[in-house]
Amino acid sequence: MSGVDTIGFRRACRAEWTKLRTEAGHGWLLLGLVLVTVGVGAAVSAGVPCPASGCGQDQVRLSLAGVSVSQVLAAVTAVLLVGGEYGTGLIRTTLVALPRRGTVLAAKATVLSGTVLAVGSVAVLASILAGHLLLPGAGYTPAHGYTQLSLADGPTLRAAAGSVLYLVLVGLLTLGVAVAVRDAAVAAGVVLALLYLFPLLSHVVTEPHLQRLLARLGPMPAGLAIQATTNLSHLPIGPWAGLGVLALWAATALFLGGTILRLRDA
Amino acid sequence: MRDDVGIEMAGLRKRFGATQALDGMTFAVRPGRVTGFVGPNGAGKSTTMRVVLGLDAPDAGRALVGGRPYRSLRSPLTRLGSLLDAGALQPSRTARNHLLWLAHSQGLPARRVDQVLEQVGLADAARRRAGGFSLGMRQRLGIAAALLGDPPALMLDEPFNGLDPEGIRWIRGLLTSLAVEGRAVLVSSHLMGELEDVADHLVVVGRGRVVADTGVRELLAGVAAGRVMLRTSEPLAAAEVLSHTGATVQVTGPGTLGITGLPGEAIVARLTAAAVPFAEVATHRATLEEAYLTLTGDAVQYRSADSAAGVER
Amino acid sequence: MRALHAEWTKFRTVRGWVLGSVGAMLASVLFLLVGTASSNQHPQGVTALPVGPGGEAVNDSFYFVHRALTGDGSITVLVTALTGVLADPAGGPGGSTSGVTPWSKAGILVKESLDQGSPYAAMMVTGAHGVRMQNDFTHDRAGLAGSPSTTEPRWLRLVRTGRTVIGLDSSDGVRWAEVGTARLPEPATTVQVGLFVAAPAAVQASGGGSSSPATATGDFRRVTLSGAWGQAAGGWQGGQVGGDAGTSGSYAPGTVGGWTATTGEGFTVTGAGDIAPVVGGPALGPAFTVETFLVGTFVGLIVLTVVAVQFVTTEYRRGLLGQTLAATPHRSRTLAAKATVVATVAFAVGAAAATMSIPLGELRAHATHFAVLTVPTAVQARAVLGTGLLLAATAVLSLALGVVLRRSATAITAVVAATVFPYLLASGGMLPSGPAEWVLRLTPAAGFAVQQTLPRHDQVLSVYAPSSGYFPLSPWGGLAVLGAWSVLALAAAAVLLRRRDA
Repeated sequence: MSGVDTIGFRRACRAEWTKLRTEAGHGWLLLGLVLVTVGVGAAVSAGVPCPASGCGQDQVRLSLAGVSVSQVLAAVTAVLLVGGEYGTGLIRTTLVALPRRGTVLAAKATVLSGTVLAVGSVAVLASILAGHLLLPGAGYTPAHGYTQLSLADGPTLRAAAGSVLYLVLVGLLTLGVAVAVRDAAVAAGVVLALLYLFPLLSHVVTEPHLQRLLARLGPMPAGLAIQATTNLSHLPIGPWAGLGVLALWAATALFLGGTILRLRDA
Repeated sequence: MRDDVGIEMAGLRKRFGATQALDGMTFAVRPGRVTGFVGPNGAGKSTTMRVVLGLDAPDAGRALVGGRPYRSLRSPLTRLGSLLDAGALQPSRTARNHLLWLAHSQGLPARRVDQVLEQVGLADAARRRAGGFSLGMRQRLGIAAALLGDPPALMLDEPFNGLDPEGIRWIRGLLTSLAVEGRAVLVSSHLMGELEDVADHLVVVGRGRVVADTGVRELLAGVAAGRVMLRTSEPLAAAEVLSHTGATVQVTGPGTLGITGLPGEAIVARLTAAAVPFAEVATHRATLEEAYLTLTGDAVQYRSADSAAGVER
Repeated sequence: MRALHAEWTKFRTVRGWVLGSVGAMLASVLFLLVGTASSNQHPQGVTALPVGPGGEAVNDSFYFVHRALTGDGSITVLVTALTGVLADPAGGPGGSTSGVTPWSKAGILVKESLDQGSPYAAMMVTGAHGVRMQNDFTHDRAGLAGSPSTTEPRWLRLVRTGRTVIGLDSSDGVRWAEVGTARLPEPATTVQVGLFVAAPAAVQASGGGSSSPATATGDFRRVTLSGAWGQAAGGWQGGQVGGDAGTSGSYAPGTVGGWTATTGEGFTVTGAGDIAPVVGGPALGPAFTVETFLVGTFVGLIVLTVVAVQFVTTEYRRGLLGQTLAATPHRSRTLAAKATVVATVAFAVGAAAATMSIPLGELRAHATHFAVLTVPTAVQARAVLGTGLLLAATAVLSLALGVVLRRSATAITAVVAATVFPYLLASGGMLPSGPAEWVLRLTPAAGFAVQQTLPRHDQVLSVYAPSSGYFPLSPWGGLAVLGAWSVLALAAAAVLLRRRDA
């Protein structure tokens, strides 16, 4: 990119947004993201009881548990944003219309971020509301040492806002991977492996030091640390630092994708 | 000549693995005429276009659109309209929405979308999913995208593919009128006949480089010069008479001769003078196809070799 | 048959798919190597678990006061008390309280030799499970209920006749009841017979499970022998079999194993450890299992899912499906042929990867000083075969969802999110064990149960929960759940394929 081309960037964003909103699949995926986040969150909030005080559960984490399931929908949205174009050859049309490839990737990332941010906010707010209503019924009461879930509480607000950012960053990580591998199926496989294999590996590793290291390095375990509100000092990684690790993963993937997009023939 | 409208390619080289797809491709597309871009499959036509559009980076040489590299253009569709692969659509998007995002990418208003849809005859199908389009409709949609930015230059790769006779007639008219409006138009085809009566200028390529870069009229004139078909009941007598004039005479069938090197009027005069009877004297009008074959006489050998290598991308 | 041949040709002629299948195998082996990269921080610990007569890993560590018996004979004792010391998990280092763990044992034992893992038969009182007769680690029968005390002592007797050992118990020393019989496999003429005490570690189920040291002490009276007993110096010899308390226990702070003779042919014996099969959970400690060696399955599963989904979605994308269906007009037959091809490939990949992974993992365990929980050969074979079937079922599920969803990215994500993710959720301790078990009953992740080689024994206390590797369903039952999902998806795909235009 030669300099900052605001007009070109704005046009590219507008084009990408038009593409996103006129492609039938995305709407369903984003609706699914909201429903899954809230549905799983509500099920966990109501289904994981706290029978006595000191039951050791983090109620904020429970109410936001849906995010760990619905993140794959954010990932699929990102994969389709790119993979669909490679699959049909539309990517060439895109690059003919917008030959500055850095701008194309930036526009895709911006539109994806904005969309996931908006949809993710709805999903997370609804999950918090569900938790607010359902958790006391499952035993998360003042008698057991819990206050009712509320965004006025600093850590809760951080966990909620962070969960939205988590979804955005998972989307961006996926976008970078999809541009780098240029195939929807392979991109989906790579991203799911990145998300799930770290925790699976730390399940096998018996050495506690290495276990903590894996929890610090993996995009999913590190990123989801943002949801923790209790026992912070015992976590392998702090909430914001964890989200930072995920952001680094996303930035690396986008850089890699951007470089490949710029250097390779379309 | 620095032309701010046309397309210029200078010394383009591009290698895919073991195949040299472009081997010093050099030519220019000038405004106000339709330039046919002809060559066998795998000669490097599509690769050239992809390099012009910045999709492929050349190993050497450069391609300029209106004097600038394509990838430096902010609103490229207003400088060069192109049709590469009409099938490159996301099937669930409607024709109108497909053009709409393209318009937004160039800062063009939505009304321009409706204009080009009207122009290519897709106004009725505008809100149908492009996935359900026939090949011909997809070509029309691709051409609509090329016209979207009202560009001074157009580059169409095999636009006749999949069109019915009515569609072919339509696109020929369109190409001619675009050239008449002063635009530079480059149309590729692997079938010379498709360009008959459309192209004003021809760039013939083989094995990644230009074989001939010539005007259609000159080409035809050169090929057709003095080939005359003679029908006579006395071919031996006629051959005897005509061979004395220095013309080349061939027996092309029972009672027919082919003569080169002597115009038709002269033949009639000589035969009449020698009282040799004849039934018909016809000046042969060469087709573009024949001209092309004459030009690429040795290029024919590439055809099988190159298409087997599958260079066309 | 022709459709099958056509689909097989299609599969093997796409280089990416063949490479993907081979890559799935290699990647899963590679993942195993990464997973076993760390070495044991306490390499002086156990590097090999003893193996019992049935081929399973066992704990065989206890305090034994014994003497040799040649030929037939019997031993009878009266147990008047079983007490113990527990490390106090909340009391900080060195803190301890009195108490016994439920499976603390004090009793009499006939054992082929002092080697760990050798066959045995034992009668014992336990901390909370009454009188038991146990032999060869996996066999356990109940005798009289209740705990021994001076007012209500327990009489125990073992009678050896040839290869047969009979266990009897009595509350008064007059009326005896047979609890069970055992056969010692080798007609060894000389066996070790005597008094033993063992105490497995205390298990805390909360927070994923942990364990803390425990020691037990048994008070024995009126030790009576009959038969040809060896007359070694002093008669009785005491010692810790196995050298330490094994993986399942350790001595509570301030206690050591030992024995003292008391008046009236009595003994007091203190010991820790266990005579029992090794199970998973907190009692296992740092050891590798067959499941550990099969961790690469997850990578293989993801790669094969990508291949299987693409095997059908590329046909949609390239419009090849119309051509395929024209060549084979019976759409269900085409689908069945495709499913057969991917299932066969996936089975081969899974079984081959598992076959390579287990010996490789054992080598890695040896190199990194980890003990290996050995399982009987039949169990290991089931895990290998099961891995192949698990991947075959997942591949069929992938193919079917590829037809239903038509978009490769969506189908791949759906499959992986439905198999790997629930497993992660349930076994990673993110869910409490109740919901976790339901997840592993209902979702396709139930299929991973076929890889479970960790044994479950009622006579060993542990946390038998998903977080310690225990599935709620049996291995084949779990695989059947996954299979049901695959069949359901395949049926849906067949219906949609018939209804939809190609």
